[in-house]
Amino acid sequence: MAGMKTATGDYIDSSWELRVFVGEDDPEAESVTLRVTGESHIGGVLLKIVEEIKRKQDWSDHAIWWEQKRQWLLQTHWTLDKYGILADARLFFGPQHRPVILRLPNRRALRLRASFSQPLFQAVAAICRLLSIRHPEELSLLRAPEKKEKKKKEKEPEEELYDLTKVVLAGGVAPALFRGMPAHFSDSAQTEACYHMLSRPQPPPDPLLLQRLPRPSSLLDKTQLHSRCTACRGHPGARSPCVWAPTSRARALPVSLPPIHTACLQAFLTCVPALGPPAQPRPTPVMPQHCTCIGPDLFPVLWTRWLDSSRCLMQQGIKAGDMLWLRFKYYSFFDLDPKTDPVRLTQLYEQARWDLLLEETDCTEEEMMVFAALQYHINKLSQSGEVGETAGTDLGLDDLDAALNNLEVKLEGSASTDVLNNLTTIPELKDHLRIFRPRKLTLKGYRQHWVVFKETTLSYYKSQDEAPGDPIQQLNLKGCEVVPDVNVSGQKFCIKLLVPSPEGMSEIYLRCQDEKQYARWMAGCRLASKGRTMADSSYASEVQAILAFLSLQRTGGGGSGNHPQGPDASAEGLNPYGLVAPRFQRKFKAKQLTPRILEAHQNVAQLSLSEAQLRFIQAWQSLPDFGISYVVVRFKGSKKDEILGIANNRLIRIDLAVGDVVKTWRFSNMRQWNVNWDIRQVAIEFDEHINVAFSCVSASCRIVHEYIGGYIFLSTRERARGEELDEDLFLQLTGGHEAF
Amino acid sequence: MGESNDDIDQMFSNLLGEMDLLTQSLGVDTLPPPESKPPRAEFNYSVGFKDLNESLNALEDQDLDALMADLVADISEAEQRTIQAQKESSQNQHHPASVEVPDFSGAAALSYGANVTAISVSQYENDLPPPPADPMLNLPLPPPPPEPLSQEEEAAQAKADKIKLALEKLKEAKVKKLVVKVHMNDNSTKSLMVDERQLARDVLDNLFEKTHCDCNVDWCLYEIYPELQIERIFEDHENVIEVLSDWTRDTENKVLFLEKEEKYAVFKNPQNFYLNNKGRKEGKETNEKMNAKNKESLLEESFCGTSIIVPELEGALSLKEDGKKTWKRRYFLLRASGIYYVPKGKTKTSRDLACFIQFENVNIYYGIQCKMKYKAPTDYCFVLKHPQIQKESQYIKYLCCDDARTLNQWVMGIRIAKYGKTLYDNYQRAMARAGLASRWTNQSTVSTAPPATSAAPSTGLKTSTPQANGQIPQAAHSVSAVLEEAQRHVETTKDKKPALGNQGPGAPEVHQLPKSSLPPPPPVRRSSDVCSSPATAARARGLGGGFPAPPEDSLPPPPPPPPLDEDELPPPPPDFHDAPPDFVPPPPPSFAGDVGSALPPPPPPPPAPEAARPPRVALKRPPAPPKRKESPGPAVGGGSGEQDFMSDLMKALQKKRGNMS
Repeated sequence: MAGMKTATGDYIDSSWELRVFVGEDDPEAESVTLRVTGESHIGGVLLKIVEEIKRKQDWSDHAIWWEQKRQWLLQTHWTLDKYGILADARLFFGPQHRPVILRLPNRRALRLRASFSQPLFQAVAAICRLLSIRHPEELSLLRAPEKKEKKKKEKEPEEELYDLTKVVLAGGVAPALFRGMPAHFSDSAQTEACYHMLSRPQPPPDPLLLQRLPRPSSLLDKTQLHSRCTACRGHPGARSPCVWAPTSRARALPVSLPPIHTACLQAFLTCVPALGPPAQPRPTPVMPQHCTCIGPDLFPVLWTRWLDSSRCLMQQGIKAGDMLWLRFKYYSFFDLDPKTDPVRLTQLYEQARWDLLLEETDCTEEEMMVFAALQYHINKLSQSGEVGETAGTDLGLDDLDAALNNLEVKLEGSASTDVLNNLTTIPELKDHLRIFRPRKLTLKGYRQHWVVFKETTLSYYKSQDEAPGDPIQQLNLKGCEVVPDVNVSGQKFCIKLLVPSPEGMSEIYLRCQDEKQYARWMAGCRLASKGRTMADSSYASEVQAILAFLSLQRTGGGGSGNHPQGPDASAEGLNPYGLVAPRFQRKFKAKQLTPRILEAHQNVAQLSLSEAQLRFIQAWQSLPDFGISYVVVRFKGSKKDEILGIANNRLIRIDLAVGDVVKTWRFSNMRQWNVNWDIRQVAIEFDEHINVAFSCVSASCRIVHEYIGGYIFLSTRERARGEELDEDLFLQLTGGHEAF
Repeated sequence: MGESNDDIDQMFSNLLGEMDLLTQSLGVDTLPPPESKPPRAEFNYSVGFKDLNESLNALEDQDLDALMADLVADISEAEQRTIQAQKESSQNQHHPASVEVPDFSGAAALSYGANVTAISVSQYENDLPPPPADPMLNLPLPPPPPEPLSQEEEAAQAKADKIKLALEKLKEAKVKKLVVKVHMNDNSTKSLMVDERQLARDVLDNLFEKTHCDCNVDWCLYEIYPELQIERIFEDHENVIEVLSDWTRDTENKVLFLEKEEKYAVFKNPQNFYLNNKGRKEGKETNEKMNAKNKESLLEESFCGTSIIVPELEGALSLKEDGKKTWKRRYFLLRASGIYYVPKGKTKTSRDLACFIQFENVNIYYGIQCKMKYKAPTDYCFVLKHPQIQKESQYIKYLCCDDARTLNQWVMGIRIAKYGKTLYDNYQRAMARAGLASRWTNQSTVSTAPPATSAAPSTGLKTSTPQANGQIPQAAHSVSAVLEEAQRHVETTKDKKPALGNQGPGAPEVHQLPKSSLPPPPPVRRSSDVCSSPATAARARGLGGGFPAPPEDSLPPPPPPPPLDEDELPPPPPDFHDAPPDFVPPPPPSFAGDVGSALPPPPPPPPAPEAARPPRVALKRPPAPPKRKESPGPAVGGGSGEQDFMSDLMKALQKKRGNMS
């Protein structure tokens, strides 16, 4: 072995000393010095190190990291020579799995151990296995924006951090189910809580927070990491008005950052190796114009945030304890099955919800109401299912539940209980209501009538005495539209009915005296419009839901809707603003919003939790802008920047100024694509000799490359149930590492 | 006997009373309007019945037939489940004896019985002179009693309690039924019994059996509103009765049965809908052509994901202003959630869009001649309205496209948005059906050869029992269901086609007589019973062929017919297209040669007399006449024991008629 000495202590073989630091890449770490030769195998070196340390410990996860080359020495049968290691190599003997904090799609934080030595693709697969999310190929990790160091500190409430670092998963075996959850979650109360966090939807966010969070204001903002810079139009130093500034999306940035010039940005990006951060201390790009608009503080922001899936975390500059975001990256969700993957469905739902709430994907007003109603419904269900669960869900104890409880108390306390009971047995409503039928050329207002509501038919009479006779009018509400017209503070409880008849729709307003009456009649009308009667089992719950909503309006929605959810928030109504994107918060008052959400809610009220989540995801997927990732590119031969949208089945060329789609290419027509890493250009060839080439402006072309390859990989998945991943194929399609 | 008869009696009259009510409740379609009498030619195959036919009131009888046919189907369905075993055994017993009487051999013991009753109704009617005022009066004259009666009678009695049971079940089910008049594309009409659970798909299948069309996917039910000048295709999953119940009593609306290539255009050429707008600059030619594989993947992508993809569709359309004949041009966009427009001065980003309409409560129709009626810019209009609206109203929305292509894209796009994956499921089902049909026709020609190869009768029976159920199960949407369905179709088509065809001289039908006797028992049996003397030879042969050949023989692989490629469809059409659609294509040619002489060939002959307009003649609803005749025939058989019952039934019917008229 290495280290043969003469009696005098001179080494007579070609051995030399190798210093290895023990621990993670901390320069002050303890180190051991070994005597090795070029022929020493890595395995032998490892053994020696362990011997030297003289500490009893499980070293099996440890391996050597070569800092200069940013490389793990994982081939134990390789010699030092083969790796090219000399005495000056800085080697660290550290664990391959290290804790990181994951920010999940539901925005909760979770500590777990991730592999720092495997390609990211495998690391993500392992994480997903731990979290029991199927199809890990759809997910990836992003760098978290760096924490705001500034002022905000006092505001940040202590966040609950779930910890899964101690959970070890047996390799290769599909986790068995135990007590309704994968067995490894059922070890302790803590992990169990964690599983609930993973598999159950979170309560709606604080609307204030929503408003504070940055949202894209234009298509440009959605392109990777950059937003429009309005401050520097016509900057004297720039050849063209500067378009780019570090986005607010990368929340790390102080607001007052100076604008960046397009030219500088390009120069900067060009000098950055295409595959992510450089090995050595970060390069200082030489900027044209000697501009300082991109300072070193910006570097981390400009590295593309999606991590490279073919390289390991360590190589990408991630350190133990760093925060990473776990997100669905590829919008092609395979085989969504509510039964087998609650976690996946929930996390996908959460990602969809935040996507909509933060206006990353635009939708129309009507669509937003449906989304809000679904959220409301999901929230309601998940809360009610959690009764008696982890007491720590102060955050989650939602106002709605409280409202409902209040209501129950109220109802039970009053005489109306009888009424309700009667109603459930005899599906009929009779009461004095004021009725208004808008007609042309009439000045008549509301008139009192005796109204009988039986089965799905509404009949009204002049007075109660005439009831046995012929009604003034009889309306079959089946198929009608029911629109609430309510103003709680004004004590106006009207139901607008649009009843279809052969002649058209006839409009009729019913005005109720109070909430309870309104709720009963409203619920009856709703059911009738769907062809069901008040004998339907859902009647009572419908009544309650309406009352709950009304009470919410009275309390929560009455004011500005911007109440922060203080400690006594439970007394307050649920804020509908937490369910819609901020632009609707600006557009509508809460009391306008509530009835609309309720209206939409009636169509989804019967769904189960997972059905509702699935419905939400489906509605999200059917938005025209769904699942498009945007990158600013410059097409070959074009003089202006344009936007390239990458969807799961096509590439879209979009006019940057107007936002119009210029051209679409489908992946199914694609012959091949190539990346020229030097000039940062992607060239694609489609059928019929259509060639397209562009350079990437706002992000590294690795991003585009990985997206294209990733989607093509995903499209090769088969229904054949194979959960096995063809990892090589994925890396081949997305890697580009051979290029280096 | 007497007791059970009474019971049956009561059941039946109850039943009829119920039908009465139901039919009344929907005045629209209850009875077909007077039609020209079917040409004599159709009837002349059974010579003995000629006078009878003359005296028949075609309409009434037809209705009766329709009613009874459906009733029978129902009963047999119900019974099938419970007494299948019994039946089988009883059939087995019967079988040897009844060689000449094919009906028995079929599993349709029950239906047989029902038939008898139906038939006897008319017969008794004649026996007890009915009130002259009644329309029924001129119904069947006493038909010449066919020979096999005694047997039939026996059988009828034997089945009495089964009928009872079945009726009870039927009553339990309380299924609403309507007689719907369907207009064929040759201006003739057909009346069918539609129960309230039946979907358009079921009705179509029914019509396929009655018309012998090629069953391709383009066949559809089509509703037209002459008053509003709008029309639309029934979606296959729509409940027919539900749609019709929105019509007013005095409506002029009609249901048509015809081919519309628009029905599933998107599945045939998805590229025209999905790839159209994106690459405006690639010439349209490139878009028009697409190979099958790409089409398939495009469809898969659009319809088989977690959520379906609605075609991206946007453009300027003219919107008719409420209550006026003026049109305003606006920029509309289609989204999964509805149609939106761009308000003045806004952009077409999602956040600026205003909702024009959502699809939940409206159906989409084509507008006809809106240019003339409403001064529309073009005639390419589509209309959105609540299905219940039947008169002009401001709640009906009219939109006008620049050209037919755009119109089709919008209509299809809206249907996709409204119905989603259901549309695709419908299509696959239709394909399966069409594939079967074409397969069958191919097979049938082949199978004519091996009629003699006789398998054990028992097997024949066995296979036929399950087929008694002529009804298609509802709402079977899953793939497996479709497959199953497909399989069943193989069988039913086999059965029914022959059955229908047997009024025609069709050779294949004869072979399959035994099986065919089940679903539409009347025609089958009748032909055999009544015509026994002339057709004995043929029948014997037919029996031989029919029995022995279980489905496996005649149709080698029933399960294989999954949705076939469009390419496979075409084969049948070419042949039939030219020929009158109502025919079972294969029969006439094959038979004409050998058996033609034995059985006076009904349908083919007609064309000859009226050679001037062959298609017409051909189209005259072939199935109807045979049924009618059959009623008189067996009637005699059933008659003896059940006079009271029958007369009551008759009275009920008369009453009903009276009410109707």
